[in-house]
This record gives sequence, C-alpha cells and structure tokens, in this order.
Amino acid sequence: MESRSQPVGAVSDEEQVSSEYLTFTLGNEEYAIDILKVQEIRGYEEPTFIANAPVFIKGVINLRGTIVPIVDLRIKFGLLEVEYTPFTVVVILNVANRVVGVVVDSVSDVISLLPNQIRPAPEFSGSFDTKYIVGLASLAQRMLIVTDIERLMSSADMELIDGVR
Amino acid sequence: MAIDMTQFYQVFFEESAEHLANMESLLLGLDISHPDPEQLNAIFRAAHSIKGSAGTFGFSDLADTTHILENLLDRIRKQELLLKEEMVDAFLEAGDLLKQMLEAHQGRGEVDQLQVAEIGSRLRDLSTGVTAVEDEEEDKKKVGEDEKDTAFSQLGQADGGVLCSYDIQFVPNEVSLSNGAVASLIDELKSIGTVDVIDRPAEEGNGALGGVWRLRLQTSAAQDKFSEQIDFISDSGAWRIFETSPSPRSDESYGFFDEASVVVDGGAEACYGFFTEDFRPDNSSCADAGSSTEPYGLFSDPPFSLPADSSPVEELKISEEESGYGFFDNEYTRAHLMRSDAISDGDAAPATLESLAFGEASMALPSPVSNPNLEDIPVDRVISSSKVSIPAGNGNGNGHGDGKAARSVLAAAGGESSIRVSVEKVDQLINLVGELVITQAMLLQTSSLMPSGAPEGLANGLAQLERNTRDLQESVMSIRMMPISFVFSRFPRVVRDLSGKLGKQVELKTSGETTELDKGLIERIADPLTHLIRNSLDHGIESPEKRVASGKNPVGTITLKAYHQGGNIVVEVGDDGAGLQRNRILSKARERGMQVSDQMTDAEVFNLIFEAGFSTADQITDVSGRGVGMDVVRRNIQSMGGRVEIDSMPGVGTRITVRLPLTLAILDGMSVAVGDQTYILPLSYVIESLQPDIGDIKTLSNQMRVIQVRGEYLPVVVLHEVFSLKSKWKSLTQGIMVVLEADGAKAALFVDALVGQHQVVIKSLEANYRRVPGISGATIMGDGHVALILDISAIVEMAKSSMQKAA
Repeated sequence: MESRSQPVGAVSDEEQVSSEYLTFTLGNEEYAIDILKVQEIRGYEEPTFIANAPVFIKGVINLRGTIVPIVDLRIKFGLLEVEYTPFTVVVILNVANRVVGVVVDSVSDVISLLPNQIRPAPEFSGSFDTKYIVGLASLAQRMLIVTDIERLMSSADMELIDGVR
Repeated sequence: MAIDMTQFYQVFFEESAEHLANMESLLLGLDISHPDPEQLNAIFRAAHSIKGSAGTFGFSDLADTTHILENLLDRIRKQELLLKEEMVDAFLEAGDLLKQMLEAHQGRGEVDQLQVAEIGSRLRDLSTGVTAVEDEEEDKKKVGEDEKDTAFSQLGQADGGVLCSYDIQFVPNEVSLSNGAVASLIDELKSIGTVDVIDRPAEEGNGALGGVWRLRLQTSAAQDKFSEQIDFISDSGAWRIFETSPSPRSDESYGFFDEASVVVDGGAEACYGFFTEDFRPDNSSCADAGSSTEPYGLFSDPPFSLPADSSPVEELKISEEESGYGFFDNEYTRAHLMRSDAISDGDAAPATLESLAFGEASMALPSPVSNPNLEDIPVDRVISSSKVSIPAGNGNGNGHGDGKAARSVLAAAGGESSIRVSVEKVDQLINLVGELVITQAMLLQTSSLMPSGAPEGLANGLAQLERNTRDLQESVMSIRMMPISFVFSRFPRVVRDLSGKLGKQVELKTSGETTELDKGLIERIADPLTHLIRNSLDHGIESPEKRVASGKNPVGTITLKAYHQGGNIVVEVGDDGAGLQRNRILSKARERGMQVSDQMTDAEVFNLIFEAGFSTADQITDVSGRGVGMDVVRRNIQSMGGRVEIDSMPGVGTRITVRLPLTLAILDGMSVAVGDQTYILPLSYVIESLQPDIGDIKTLSNQMRVIQVRGEYLPVVVLHEVFSLKSKWKSLTQGIMVVLEADGAKAALFVDALVGQHQVVIKSLEANYRRVPGISGATIMGDGHVALILDISAIVEMAKSSMQKAA
C-alpha cells in the first residue's frame, strides 16, 4: 500500500505538469513507462546465451561496447506465444544506473499523462505484482498500466542485480 | 569576490600526499653520516611545497607542522646542524602526522592533537640543539664538486664577506612597470649593498617593454639572494647578471657557466632576441666590464655584437643560428686576434674561455683560422679552463636541448612535466579505443567475406588501419601504466618499523622498480604485497641470535623483485629465513581436520598456508599469526587474474612469486566453441590441449570422469554439461581437452573445438548484470557479438569439489 501511495503523492504536488510515457504492448495489455527511463529502441538481435540464467533472461548483447542484458518480459509475464521476428522490439532502458534491454511485443506511441489521469490500480493478483504499478490510466478506449519500470527492473524478481534478495 | 577553493582541494590533497610519499622515501634513503645535499634539498622542497599550498588553502595545522619541520630541515641543509638518526625518526613521525591531517581534512580519521604538539616540540628541540659543523668549509668544497646546483648557492655563502660587483641587466615586464616594482627592487638591492643605476630606459617612447635597465651592485651577498627578485619582475628570461669583479677562485667560472646555461635554457628565441635587440644598446656599457673599449668598435653589426663576458655557450649558440657563418668572417677573426692580444696582459680567465670557444668553433667549421696567439696562452690555463668549458661545449654540440643538461639535476628533482587527468577520462579513452579495435576487426572480417576478395586499395587501407589502431591502443594503454616503484616505495618504511618492533635486523633489497603495470593493479597489489612482506619478516627471518647460531649473517635479507615474463608481470617476495616447514604445516593441517597425506608434493603442502584460518605461528603477535591473511592475499591476487606460487627450502628461505597480467583491461585469450557458443579461456591458465583417446578417460565412483595426461589423472570438466548446452559431439573423444592450471591444481576442460587466439578487451558483466558463476567477464568479438570469458579458478574449483564428492 505504501509503495503505491508514495509515487502518487509525489506527483500530486505538481498536478498540472504532465509527464510523457512510452507505451508498449505485451499480449493484450498495454503498458506505459516513464520516457525518461528509455534510452533507445532497437530491433532484436540474437544475444549471447548466459548459462544457468533464468529463462526470461535471453543473454547479453553488445550495445556499442557496453554489455547489456536482455530480458524478455513476455516470458517473464507468462505470455504463451513468444517468437522472435525482425519486427521484435527491444526497449533499452536506463534504470538504477544500469542499462537493460527488455523485449516487448510492440511499441505503440508516446503519450502525455497528467498526474490526475493516473488512478490507483485495484489490488489484483497475477503474474505482475501490483507493487510495480503506479496506477492505471485510461485514454480513449485504451487502458494503460503505468509501471514503475525502475523498481521492476531492480527487483529481486528480475534477477538482474546481485545481492537483491 | 571569493573564489571557491574547494574545487582545488582534491588536487592539493593528491599533491601533498605525493610530496609526503616522496619525502618519506628520501628520508629512508638518506645516509645519516654523509647526507647527500641534493637529497636534503629535495626533502626540504617537499616540505616547503606542502607548507606553501597548505597555507594557501588555509589548512593551518598542516602549515604549522611543516613550518617547524622545514625550519629544522633548513638548518640541516645549510649544515648548521648535523643530521642525526633521531631527526630522521622525528621527520618520519611528522610525516605520518601530516598524512593523518590530510586524511582528516578529507573526512577520514582524526588527528591526535597531543601527538602534533609533541612532535612539534620535539622538532623544535632538535633544531635548537646547536651542533657546530667543524669541517664546514671542507664539506662545502665537496658539495661544490658534487652538485653544481647546490654549489651555486653554497658557494655564495662560502664567498660571504668577499665584496663582489655585479652587472645586472633586465627588461622589466609590464606588470612590474606599472606597479613600481623596479623602484622597490632597487630599494631592496640597496639593503644588501650599494647600487648604481648605470643605464635606464627613457621615460617615454620605448613602448610597453620599457627597455633595458642596467644596475651595478656591489654586495657581499650571494647572487641567488637577489637573482630571484630580478627574475620576478623581468620579462621571461630577459635578465642577466654578470659578476664583474675578478675572483681569485677558479670555481667562479662555475657559477658563471651555470648562469649562462640558465639563459640558454630560456629558449633560443629569448637568447637571440636578447642579443640582437635588448643588448645592442649595451655594447658600450658592456665594454667597461672588459679590459678595453677598443675592439668593440668592430662589432658594430648586431649579430656580431657580443658582450665581453659572454660565455662560449652563448657565442656558439649564435653560431648555430643562420648568422653563424657571418660570425667567422675575417672581420671577426681580426677582432678576436686583437682581443686575444688584449687578454694576454689582463683578465686572463674569461679570455681563455673565449679563445677556447673560438678554437672549438673553428673545429666545427672548417674555416682556416689560425691564431698564433692561442699558443701564447700558458698551457695550464688552457687546461684549467677547458675543464670548465666541457659542459658548455656539450651544450653546443647538441643544440638548445642540451642547454638544459646543466639544470637537469634540478629538473629531475622538481618533477617531470605532467598533467593530472582523472582516471575516468583515461578509462573512457581506453573504452573508445577498444571500440575502435572492434570496429576495425569487424571491417577486416567484412572485407574478407567479399566474394572476389577486397580491392587492393581497401585491403591496404585496412591493413594500415589495423596497424594504427594497434599502436593507438598500445599508447593509450600505456597512459594507465605506472612503475611499480609506487608500491615498492612504501616497503622500506614497513620493513624499518617492523624489524625494529620485532627486534630483527633486516635489509630490504628491491629490483625492477621501473617495471610498469596498470594503475588499477598497482592499487590492488599493495595490500597483498605488504602482507607478504610482513609475513616474511615475522615468520621467515629468524632472530639475529638464531641466525648467527645457524651460521647466517645476522642481518636477514628480504628481496622484492619485479620483472616481465611473457605477458605477465612477476613480483617476487623472497627472504633468506628459516623456510617453510613441511611437517609442521602437515601436522597443523591434520589438527584442523584437513584432508592431507604425506604423499602430497611440496607445492601442495605449501599451498595449504593459503587456506583460510591456517597459521603455523606458535603465538599470535600483533604483526601476524592469526591465520587471516594468506587466504586474503591469494583471493586478492586471483581477483586480479593473477597467481601465487611458493618455493621454499628449510633453512635457506622462502620465495613467493606473484604473477599478474599486464593490465586489467586486455587479456590474451583462446576462444573455444561449445555447441553454438564461443567462450574465451584466459591463455595464462592454459597448459596444453589434446584430443583424448577413449582409453584415457576413466570414471571415479561411476560419476566423476578423470583423464590420464602424461601419467597424471586430472578431473574432467565437461563445459557443455556445466552450462547445459548441446555439444556438437556425442563422445568425449571427438572434442578437445584443454588442460588448465589454477591455484596449483589442474583440470581438463572438455570443449567442442578450439577456435583461435585473440587479445580481447575485458568488459564487465556486472556493470549491467550480475556475477555469473564460472564466468569472469565478457568481451566483444570481431563480429560484434559478445563472448563470455571463463573463470578458470572457479572451473578448477568445481572439478576439485566434484572430485572430492566422488572420492
């Protein structure tokens, strides 16, 4: 509960300032993440396999000299059909002083959301823990799941960082 | 407007730390009975620099302590006090306190004010305990022979009391013109002697430069007492001081030459401009320094106009310029003949110099100049002056650059010219060059894939690019390289302190201090080496009585050696102590419940001391013996990609050899294929590779495989099983066994195939990901793909533990 109220409270101070979000789809769900955390978007290339890593960690790639791990969020979120085509998209994120790539189904667009457009999400259980959700936003007929991507990526669930347990 | 000084603090801290380290090493190197004056000066300079900058930054505690230190040093330097052992001790302690103060200012640790007060009073006591130096004069003479630089100042003092007359010429700079510094200079000079203003530039019209001032100073003070002030207010290098009164001392010409080479040092342009322009108006006045005005009339053209007392250096300096040829025309020769005539009955010493220079010049230029008058000069004169002119003559031979030779001692002590760059910037550069290397490899690969081969022009360009990138990479890597003396320099102190504490007599011998290795390694090697040295001192070297009893020199020796071997840096810590006792180690290991047997080789037994918590010391001292340490040493060295080995012979000594890679950033690797993946094995761990026969592979307890290689059974690590990959092969006989050695243990690694050897740039996997068991890092291959570098120590460890499980 606290984890959710904190970011909402933080933005309510500056209610009229809208922030930009990148939206992408995973299966039938649409997610929005803070655009400032996104470094770039690139096509999928076969990463170098890391032995004995969790299945959703596809491996590491060379991003202009930096070794970047690639996480397939589709596998992490239990989507059934996971295929890699030339159109598969990798979003390179800059979170917690690290560079991480995430594989998503597709990137939709960049939208502006005012803090008051983001509503608290109801408690629900599922593959996606609600503690990483800032809230839900509706835009026309779309429902966007606004995600705290930094928190998600640095969580122990993602097994991306040493010593986070 | 206040300038934020904090931004400079870091630089100050670094510099002061360097000065302190420098001071300490100099102090330790001092020969107490016969201190080298140059070393004393260097120590003084270090203390002085710290004091100066500490004062600037307002660290008064540092400034105060260094001030006291400096006072004492100054008195020793001036030979008012004799250096004593306890002074060195006090200096060292003061140095430690200064270090603490520096740390405290950086927010680490605290300073014991009592200690500060104590050392302050101790230093003061030492500096008031006046001890007259009896053989002062004699010492000073020796000094004069040893060191020209010191001779210069010392001579001045030795000459104290003799009234000398100096001709001072200078061109004031704009700043001093505007603030009346010239007037105050003259006042100042008046305070030490009598000053006559011989020539001063006209009030107006001479432009911003203000023109040449000429003063005549009669004083008993040494020249260096006022030369600095003149230098300060003058345009860079545009000042000269001539000593005009004849001096009976032959040493006088020493000072003379020194001065001359200082001017040369100022650069050719300065000298040149000086002579042609600034000096021209002085021709007449120069003359009255010499013996006769007459000959000067002949040198009316600027390039030929030379002041009478110009040294050969300057003369030939000009001869090197284009005007040199004009120099030796008849007119000049004639002038010289006349001059030589004038000399024979007058002021002989400078004349001889002139003639000598002239003689040399005629050798340099095959112009037929015969000067009968040269023969007139007494032979002993020629000899005595030729001694003097040799250093100057060298300067001539090699051009401007060697004009610096005379000051090289000073320059070496003053530090080489360098810039301070943050390590991040260098690392960024190294990364970028790493990228370039990868891109270049990629291009090369792409061109080789062209169906009809690359066009010649492209191939040539690529070959050149490859060369250039390699050179670039090497020189960029060398920026990070530092001599290992940065680490070694701290050990004399460690040994000194510790041997005193332990009541042992130990001499430390170091060699290979100039061996360079990566800065990152330098920082990380210091702790393990300190530990090894402490160990050698505490456990290795016996007490003097014991040593004498076993027929050894009571003074033990610890040797510290660094050298290159292959692609590695080897650092050896050796002692001539008691050596490791195999039986004692074995029994201790049994006590601790380790699995040991008498059949173990010496190397295996000795390696036991690297186990955590292992100690054979009978009693725990505050130096060592708790059993922590050697395991930390090994772990540290392994984390740097290095290895430790022990050799020991009872009664003879122990030698611990540390092998380190040259750099942390680049690694010689062998790439191996497993399934569709490529891995890199650090080449330093690879012993051999072979294709196994079916009969060589045996199993232990039906699960652990071993392979027989040259009579040895080695545990087999099957890489595709460890990493859950699919091998290309069905049987182990189809692939390759790579025999690896790490931490004194061997293992065979099964891979599908060997691919090749590369120099790879090591990239951290942990920067964006986490540690992966069995992987030490990653690199980028020529095709842009990432390859992982295997952690051989972990793999060998894996083999060892599975072997133990099976057994």
